[in-house]
Amino acid sequence: MAGPADDKMIRVDMTNQTATIEDFPAEYRLLGGRALSAKILSAECDPTCDPLGPDNVLVMAPGVVSGTAAPTSGRISIGGKSPLTGGIKEANTGGQPGQHLMKLGIRVIVVKGQPSDAEARYGLEVNADGVKVVAADAHKMKRNYALCMDLHGEYPKTASFITCGPAGEMRLTGASVATTDQDNRYPARHAARGGLGAVMGSKGLKFVAVDPGRSGVRRPADRARFGELCKTYTKDYQEGPQMFQFGTSSVVPMANMLNTLVYKNRVEGQSPDVETLDGARIVESFETRGGEMHNCMTGCIVKCSNIVHDAQGEYKTSALEFETLTLLGSNCAVASWEDVADMDRLCDELGLDTIETGGAIAILMDSGGLDWGDADGMRTLLNEIDQGTDRGKAIGNGAVATGKFTGHHRVPHALGQTIPAWDPRPLKATGVTYCTSPMGADHTAGLVVNPGLSQDQYVWESQKSQIVNAVCDSSGFCQFLQPSLDDIRNFYGALYDEEVSREQIHDQGWQCLEDEWAFNKAAGLTAEDGYLSEALQKDPIAGQVFDVPMDIINQMYTKLPAQEDLFAAKASG
Amino acid sequence: MPIIQIPPPYRGPTGGASEVDVDGATLLECLQGVEAKYPGFGPLVLDAKGGLRKFATWFRNGDKLTGDVLSTPLEPGDAIDIISSVAGG
Ligand code: SF4
Repeated sequence: MAGPADDKMIRVDMTNQTATIEDFPAEYRLLGGRALSAKILSAECDPTCDPLGPDNVLVMAPGVVSGTAAPTSGRISIGGKSPLTGGIKEANTGGQPGQHLMKLGIRVIVVKGQPSDAEARYGLEVNADGVKVVAADAHKMKRNYALCMDLHGEYPKTASFITCGPAGEMRLTGASVATTDQDNRYPARHAARGGLGAVMGSKGLKFVAVDPGRSGVRRPADRARFGELCKTYTKDYQEGPQMFQFGTSSVVPMANMLNTLVYKNRVEGQSPDVETLDGARIVESFETRGGEMHNCMTGCIVKCSNIVHDAQGEYKTSALEFETLTLLGSNCAVASWEDVADMDRLCDELGLDTIETGGAIAILMDSGGLDWGDADGMRTLLNEIDQGTDRGKAIGNGAVATGKFTGHHRVPHALGQTIPAWDPRPLKATGVTYCTSPMGADHTAGLVVNPGLSQDQYVWESQKSQIVNAVCDSSGFCQFLQPSLDDIRNFYGALYDEEVSREQIHDQGWQCLEDEWAFNKAAGLTAEDGYLSEALQKDPIAGQVFDVPMDIINQMYTKLPAQEDLFAAKASG
Repeated sequence: MPIIQIPPPYRGPTGGASEVDVDGATLLECLQGVEAKYPGFGPLVLDAKGGLRKFATWFRNGDKLTGDVLSTPLEPGDAIDIISSVAGG
């Protein structure tokens, strides 16, 4: 059984299709996920490289506590230079591969190079015997579900998969990286944002198969303390309100009330279809169609993931999230959650970010290229993407590309990435996150749902949330467990039998942001480049535009003294 | 007076205030008191028919309220917490 002292890392050279295992540097032991990815990219990736060329580096890094018995802790970060933003990117997902890699003691996979034959496809096999690159031409351009069905036949049933759909193979900049979910079933979990699927595709890497075999959970250095923490944390959570027990889709009516269930390419903040998009309808459908709430990875106690069935009682998709219901639903004036479920499945099949894709389709509709609410038209459009039509490719390349394709003026984005559901006009501190996060407009980087803040509070609230989320996304804990910095440092302390101070954990979060900002600066991006696009500055919703001045925004780049609330603040994304 | 703790998403109408002291013998009376002090708060927690909106869970002094939540009797010093989920996914 791999313990924290035996950790390894995998290096893959796609130019020569070789893979090797090395010792994981001991000084990185408290770095995982996003922070580890930032560290590796800072050291090993030229920030000025072509994101789809051989010099980009693709990182796959589970969190520090992944693979242990800690609850809800098996998240994996995918990192690289983003072809969408031109800056550093980390996208985080659940599913099984993070748990499986860590059970094998693999802290990170670093993929470099590019095959000389752009048409060749490869897979990476990781198991207790080692690692190897294998030919995978037979899987070329397979959609994710068919691909995983075939991979299930080729590999032991204990294996899980990280996959690249056709959108990634086509190097479309809205492409995601998929992971298979609990019980290694479906490729329904996605590291979606920033086009990292295109980076995986550009390296000819179609899949990673991770078979932990009979490997057990990672052994903490202080087993008694770690076990006690797991027990009390789980008990406290289960005795608490469990706000995500019906999934993020249950946020729909709340978001509507807060003017952030955006409608028709964000010209309004409320949707007339709030009732039929509400996740409560999905939960009601379990009664007649089947489907249920489940955990996307083993060991998750939150179970926020809904399994959605169709009218015939057959599996359709999972999980149908709030962001998807907003961007592919209300933002495109689609009224029914069932139509959005179809679109979610199609995006998962193709390997596309539902947020970027929904933002792009809304721009096409706003330009007159498709009728508002035309769900059949959207299905046709999505099915065009892997046929390679110009329109399909524009949508697959995201909002800014679709703005250029249509010549349409209203393109809501920051740093080339479309705005998530949470709107920066009523929620200005979230807007400050979108402007300053090295990730561009990404709610998981630092969501602040508080419309009552005054301007002098925006920076601290955003900085606090960005630090807590950076640490959370480095730990392996899911943001929906809502761990605090104190929770995370206590788990780290028991894992390595050392004290991790408040100062240390605060520094870790800040250092992650600094590494990422430095990468972006070296890539040629400025603070002004990150400001929200004109559409959000000029078109109001609920009487508000985004108008936070640059001198306030720029305060983010100075580390503020920790206030007491930093350590109890919960991750929120 | 009972104290209503206002969670961040509901602080638009309260101008950022995180707790409000209000007179009232029941939760409903207290919520009406908050609305009188901060117009716009009521619709955030009450639907058009005057019932509680479904997406929040209510606690009195740490205990989850169930049943006819709006009729819950309140004593001076009681603390009411409103927990509602906000997340993207
Ligand atoms: S809380 Fe939801 S997204 Fe997070 S690990 Fe559990 S099921 Fe997956």
